[in-house]
Amino acid sequence: MNPITIEATQYTPAIRLDPSGAWLIAGKSYPENTFEFYKPVMHWIEVYLAQTDSADITLDMEIVYFNSSSSKLFYDLFDLLDAKRSTHKITIRWLYDPQNESALEAGEDFIADFEFLNIQLTEK
Amino acid sequence: MSIENRLIQEIEQLQENFNLTTERMLKEIRRDQRIMGRSDKRQRKEYDELQQRLTQVEALQKEIEETQKEVVFTMGAIGETRSKETGKHVNRVAEYSKLLALYYGLSEEEAETLKQASPMHDIGKVAIPDAILNKPAKLNDEERAIMNTHAELGYGMLRYSLRPLLECAAIVAYEHHEKYDGSGYPRGLKGEEIHIYGRITAVADVFDALGSKRCYKVPWEDEAIFAYFKEQRGLHFDPRLVDILFDHIDEFKAIRERLADTPSLTLPTA
Repeated sequence: MNPITIEATQYTPAIRLDPSGAWLIAGKSYPENTFEFYKPVMHWIEVYLAQTDSADITLDMEIVYFNSSSSKLFYDLFDLLDAKRSTHKITIRWLYDPQNESALEAGEDFIADFEFLNIQLTEK
Repeated sequence: MSIENRLIQEIEQLQENFNLTTERMLKEIRRDQRIMGRSDKRQRKEYDELQQRLTQVEALQKEIEETQKEVVFTMGAIGETRSKETGKHVNRVAEYSKLLALYYGLSEEEAETLKQASPMHDIGKVAIPDAILNKPAKLNDEERAIMNTHAELGYGMLRYSLRPLLECAAIVAYEHHEKYDGSGYPRGLKGEEIHIYGRITAVADVFDALGSKRCYKVPWEDEAIFAYFKEQRGLHFDPRLVDILFDHIDEFKAIRERLADTPSLTLPTA
């Protein structure tokens, strides 16, 4: 599988997905059409999870601002990962700026909703 | 299996599927509600924070602008203490300048900048010796030469700033004694080589100076002032600006009246 690299824009985050399992989503997320924007990302992850029997995945998420549909999409993304938690070693690091209270709270919400996923709050 | 039993089995299967599906739908809807609720809460908070910061930035910006205005005004006041001209003179010149700028076609913003910068046009006079500055008679050639350095001196004081207001003030200080026909100082610039700020301030400054009492002269009558401007149209002054002055003379006179010098205090006689 080829890695995916998407540059950040004013409305979309930088994204890096690597077959080695080092993944990153960093920046702001309020695209005009959120699900369209993340389609290749979600597709890549689905294929990756289907093709690997086991893998070490570390997803760094450093989202400074995101809209409601991005929030929904992150839930879908975590669902994909949650479904593979028995075979794959998955770590999600939710990176936040201590000044950015709502980023911290969003991370806490994800932890509350995905109690079996290893989501770590990491102060920058 | 009887038909009835098969039917029951199928319906039970359907019921189970239905239950599973509705359960999934309910779960999905509840989750969406939760996501939306949290998103709304988060976005409200973020928007509040943005507004709060914007308010702070706006307050700071206002503070900066006010400080800049005060500094400029103070510099003008310093200049005034060095001459016998009244504070009202610089205020009137500032107002005339803005009016000329607007009718000339400069934007409201630029006209306002010129108005605020205008009080500094004679700031270079702080470096002119008292004996020359306040001499109650005509200056001789040597004294005149020294007096004339105030334009360049003022420019030297203001030229290093990159702030639009002080940049404008530097131009005004440097070029307000240039004349349209090239016979002015310090550089003898001609026509539109002279920045519009300089051309405007020249008209505003002379219009006010002629009508005011100075240590070396009595105020001129309006007729004499108008005659002078007609005569100097295209010589000392930009002809377009002289036309503007005459076309709107009532507005200029209104400023002159509104900001008239108050007579010096005299004790009431018994």
